[in-house]
Amino acid sequence: MGTPPWRINEVLDRAQNGPICLEKDFDFKFLVPELQRVIKEYDICFDKSTPIPSDDSLADSLWKAAMDFYLTVGTLCTDTYRRIIFTENEIKEALGNFPGKYTLGFGRDSREITNRKIEDTRMPFCLFSPDITCDEDLFIPMSMAYLQEPLADGVCAPILDEIEGMPIRSGSPTEVKGSVAHAMMFREAARRVGRPGIFLKSVGTAESDAAQIAASNPEWGERLTDGRFVASISELKVNNSLLNKMVHFHTYGCFVGALMGPILGGFSGGPEGTAIVGLAYHLQGLLVNQAHFLNYFPFHLKYTCNTMRELLWVISMTYQSLARNSNLISLSNGFTAAGPCTSMVLREAAAHSLVSVVSGSNLWEIAVAKNRHKNFATPMEARIACEVGCGAVKEMISRNDANEITLTLLKSYEKDIETAPLGKSFRECYDIRKVKPSPEYTELFNTIRKELKDLGVPFIY
Amino acid sequence: MTIEQLYEALKNSIVEFKPEEAKQITKKLLEAQIDPLKVLDEILNPTMEEIGEQFDRMDIFLPELMGAAEAMRAATSVLTEHIKKSTITPTEVKGKVVLGTVSGDIHEIGKNIVKIMLEVSGFEVLDLGRDVPSLKFIEKAEEVNADVIALSALMTTTMHSQREVIELLEALGKRNKYLVLIGGNPTTDSWRKEIGADGWAETAVGAAKLVTKMIQEKVR
Repeated sequence: MGTPPWRINEVLDRAQNGPICLEKDFDFKFLVPELQRVIKEYDICFDKSTPIPSDDSLADSLWKAAMDFYLTVGTLCTDTYRRIIFTENEIKEALGNFPGKYTLGFGRDSREITNRKIEDTRMPFCLFSPDITCDEDLFIPMSMAYLQEPLADGVCAPILDEIEGMPIRSGSPTEVKGSVAHAMMFREAARRVGRPGIFLKSVGTAESDAAQIAASNPEWGERLTDGRFVASISELKVNNSLLNKMVHFHTYGCFVGALMGPILGGFSGGPEGTAIVGLAYHLQGLLVNQAHFLNYFPFHLKYTCNTMRELLWVISMTYQSLARNSNLISLSNGFTAAGPCTSMVLREAAAHSLVSVVSGSNLWEIAVAKNRHKNFATPMEARIACEVGCGAVKEMISRNDANEITLTLLKSYEKDIETAPLGKSFRECYDIRKVKPSPEYTELFNTIRKELKDLGVPFIY
Repeated sequence: MTIEQLYEALKNSIVEFKPEEAKQITKKLLEAQIDPLKVLDEILNPTMEEIGEQFDRMDIFLPELMGAAEAMRAATSVLTEHIKKSTITPTEVKGKVVLGTVSGDIHEIGKNIVKIMLEVSGFEVLDLGRDVPSLKFIEKAEEVNADVIALSALMTTTMHSQREVIELLEALGKRNKYLVLIGGNPTTDSWRKEIGADGWAETAVGAAKLVTKMIQEKVR
């Protein structure tokens, strides 16, 4: 089975010669009205009492709605004012040839990632990630802290916004320099923890195509066994720079991922529309971004997190729909409201991973503190998420049981989303020299872990 | 239709985002000799304020907000044309804002929401779009004699472009001529202080309130 890439030149040709469409028309003549049409036509309804529905027919209706929607709307290339659209047969060809599993990383440290099914008994692939910028001197210790986590199958590094005392500016030489340093230091960190072959996701420091390309080097930088990601512009848009990255990654030969974050409250509207756009993004990821796997982080426009019930429903329904109707590989990326070293963040992380895993996803954990505060992330939040996710699989938790547990968890933190505590920075939570969590955070972690266990939250150990 | 019914219909055309209907009803109100400033102050502005608050509470979403703003613009354009042809003194624009997403950054949903909130609060907004070169903000501000330069950034690696605009203003000797407002998810008030911007807002509604306050204080 040979996709992706799926006919790269077809995509490039359509980005140059597809039907002309101005961005405003794309939003208001295609995206918004078509979304409203399919929500009504396929009778998609959010039920706030059930963040994890067990209704297979809803999952299938959602898939049909998303296929119908994406076939009509497609993806806009904002630089060429063209819509990239596909036929149903083309989508089926790309989906039908998708292998559903890959081996990531190399040698002893390599791990398999697969498409997962609802209530799957196979363990999820756990990618640990801080998803935030850090001070330059923290880059190696913070990377090592994540890389040494036993449950980590792959790791994404923090992002640099300074290099050798200079601020990194997107599109400037400092970005190229910072991105090269990022790739080098990340590999050094992986070797220092004794996992040189672990799957590395990079280079978050590189926003531009030029900086991404500069970091590709099997000797010192990004290897063929690593994963590189192509983002989108909200919603369902790409540009030449993003397509440049896609072409480079495929011709270089590394794994390619797609970053997809439909916004609840934005053009996607409410939970129903956000789930449909989320599924359409998965099709775009396969066909336009040409991705081997997808990183999915629907989030709330105002609170920039996805642990409230509307978004847990979106996450659950997107994955149930994907699991029943495709072989695609996707990683569910949590975004919490609270920050490190708070009981709230540990509860939010547990809810996110539980919902994701029973619904059929792999894990990418976890952006915290509304994803906006430099140095505010530690592996402890990812650790609890992945312990719960793997625990749910080990205990063979059903969607119904997971739903009940999630409702209990929501009760404990939902009202505090808006005013969530920022918590403490990595420097405050970790002994940087020894790369060990502080006694304070360790104690809190153990206390909340016990509380969660008593509530019925499953754990792997 | 009575005047009261026309008022209600105009309000509904905004809420249901029907720009053509909004235009036609506004024309009927003017034909009935209703003061255009009264239509603006008593119907259009309060309706959009209410819609803005609903959006802030997430009772409605971006498509509804943008649709209502489009209908509001349609009605306002009829009023503006009428005022130009008459002897009525137009309501003074609260100020001019040059707005855009900074260089290197392609995200603009947040910026677009801020634009709507500023417009409905009575500001004239010159939207430069996304990935705007730093100097272009200043050139446009000079060209239109703006009061405020508003800079949006969604990436940690593009936040520095906000600083760049301020540094350019200083180098050109124009820093005190404009109020500089910053926003975007990774930005914070401490970042505002660090780069010497005049204001930072966490939300779009907050941005409109802040600009109003900043301009009032500047005038005083």
